Amino acid sequence: MRPFLPRIFLGAVAGICLAGWSAVAFADNSGVVAVAGIGEAGGQEIYGRVCQGCHMPNAQGAVGAGRYPKLGGDPALVSWQYAALRVLNGKGAMPGFGRLAGPMEFPAPVHLSDAQVADVVNYVRSHFGNRYKPDVKPEQVAALPHPE
Amino acid sequence: MKEDTASPDIRRRDLLRMIGLTAGGAAMVQAMSALGVAAESPYRGPIDLQGAPKGASVLILGAGMAGMTAAYELRNAGYQVQVLEFNGRAGGRNWSLRGGDRYTELGGATQECKFDKDLYINPGPWRIPYHHRGMLNYCRKLGVPLEAFVQVNYNAYLHSSKAFGGKPQRYREVKADYQGHVAELLAKATRQHALDATVSKEDQEILVESLREWGVLDKDLSYSSSIAASERRGFKKDPGGGLSARPIPSEPMGLKDVLDAKLWRGISAGDMYDMQTGLFQPVGGMGRIGEAFGRELGPVIRYNSKVIDIHQDPAGVTATYEDTSAPGTRQTARADWCVCTIPLSVLSQIPMNVGAPMAAAINAVPYASAIKVGLQFKRRFWEEDDHIYGGITYTDLPISNIGYPNTGYQSSGKGVLLGAYIWGLDAMEFTSMQPEDRVKKAVEYGSQIHPQYQEEFDNGVAVAWHRSPFTLGCMGVWTDATRAKHYDNLCQIDERIVLAGEHASFIGGWQEGAVTSALDAIGRLHQRAVAQGAKA
Repeated sequence: MRPFLPRIFLGAVAGICLAGWSAVAFADNSGVVAVAGIGEAGGQEIYGRVCQGCHMPNAQGAVGAGRYPKLGGDPALVSWQYAALRVLNGKGAMPGFGRLAGPMEFPAPVHLSDAQVADVVNYVRSHFGNRYKPDVKPEQVAALPHPE
Repeated sequence: MKEDTASPDIRRRDLLRMIGLTAGGAAMVQAMSALGVAAESPYRGPIDLQGAPKGASVLILGAGMAGMTAAYELRNAGYQVQVLEFNGRAGGRNWSLRGGDRYTELGGATQECKFDKDLYINPGPWRIPYHHRGMLNYCRKLGVPLEAFVQVNYNAYLHSSKAFGGKPQRYREVKADYQGHVAELLAKATRQHALDATVSKEDQEILVESLREWGVLDKDLSYSSSIAASERRGFKKDPGGGLSARPIPSEPMGLKDVLDAKLWRGISAGDMYDMQTGLFQPVGGMGRIGEAFGRELGPVIRYNSKVIDIHQDPAGVTATYEDTSAPGTRQTARADWCVCTIPLSVLSQIPMNVGAPMAAAINAVPYASAIKVGLQFKRRFWEEDDHIYGGITYTDLPISNIGYPNTGYQSSGKGVLLGAYIWGLDAMEFTSMQPEDRVKKAVEYGSQIHPQYQEEFDNGVAVAWHRSPFTLGCMGVWTDATRAKHYDNLCQIDERIVLAGEHASFIGGWQEGAVTSALDAIGRLHQRAVAQGAKA
């Protein structure tokens, strides 16, 4: 017991939880995880497997007690950096996709590579009525701030 | 021995006091949790809210577990209480879908639940552990009868699509064989003096003795086919009566098979504090609690009310809302104080004049994706053919879980399974599908475990929490970093507004988080109201 005390003390004062906490706190964690990941999926596939869950298949968004923004014709998409930063870091209730999963983290965040972020940004900016040039490069995404 | 155990306790107490002094109460609770002394629900019995100022009023936003806990207690304490609820029903995520229910998700797809009478699925929470004492207390107070929820069923399956030719294995066999082989290795390593540096000679003997019992090892400390081992993993032919009575022991899997299949990942789910026996479920579905709360509160709750603005001034709080059955209309509700339990996914989009720290906290919590699929079958083949009564099968297929009904055992007629319970990427993918495709996929995957699916499937419903109009997600996801930066700011009272809900708790995604956060919030709000009331 004793060797742990200083570490817990520092962690608590700094407000840092001990490893494993997040795994304990959630509603179901059997430890059994599905086999397939997002792999090397490209922009269109990522949109279809991930983004459209909220933003809808036609990128029209939706309205309930709150809303999911419509991506088709969103004037903010003139800035590719705006779009890429949203994908990397999330915003409000939207999760970020630039963060790797921590050990034991549940539910594990979905991680997209810089190339995939560039690809999905290009896809959204050139579809659903958006007419921007799909020319964002992975290196450009890599240069943006990423989540810790 | 005695001194060894006593002294860390004393040090622990001193330590906690120090943490409390230097870092405040929340840090202390956090440290206590890490030390394992406050891991239980902080529910401390019925809340005492004596001395409510005469005529004081509280507006509560949201009629889920947090909002209704707050409304129930504040009303009983003498406050004038009004609740605004987006849905046309009470409960929020405490919810059961039953035959005849209709559910329209974001995007417009409407599902009609075609389950037979008394059959249901809980799209949200489905179990209450014995130490969630706040939830158990309200079930008792509201007269909601409980029955046992089965988490671990030794005859349910652990399934890997990549091991044993995709054939599901009984939990009983995986656990016994994993335990047996590990015990054998450790016992033999001990005998070969591998542990001499860490375990005393005497304790080595005790260790070996315990491993023999834990793993059912034979006289050579080997785990092998035997009647004794079959008493754990099951028999090739069960013992019976009469002339056909003689049992035949079963053959354990080899160590390599046990390890490589990785089914051991599924052994410990029931060891989690939140998933240990005794667990409960309300008779008739989890939604019975929300329904009972709703009946109890009656006209206190105004349904179909979509909050669009929250504004506080020095004298009170005004919420502007739209009646969802009359879009475009604007109405207001006003009270001295406000307990806001709206999920952060929604609240982050509602204008509300709180200070920068709370506003930042509201915007710092992403919402998780989760899916549940309920499947009705023409008969209870999992009981009739597979002898599985309640509990959960875990699989590495995208459906992740198959949950068997923990009620109505051996009844004739149809039955409903939880055909999928998914988090993470797979949940996002299922969310991206139309409801009928989610159901179709769940049947397709599930039939790899229960081939009877194809023949017996009747109908199904699928709830994707990111498509839920009232939550836009399943639950708030905190990281260590966002907790450190924002959690206290989220929970502090901001002038006349305090937040509550699972998102304002350390039991994220559990109803107990909602209940305990509500009790904590109204306790503090009450103190403030009493102090102000005295001044006025």
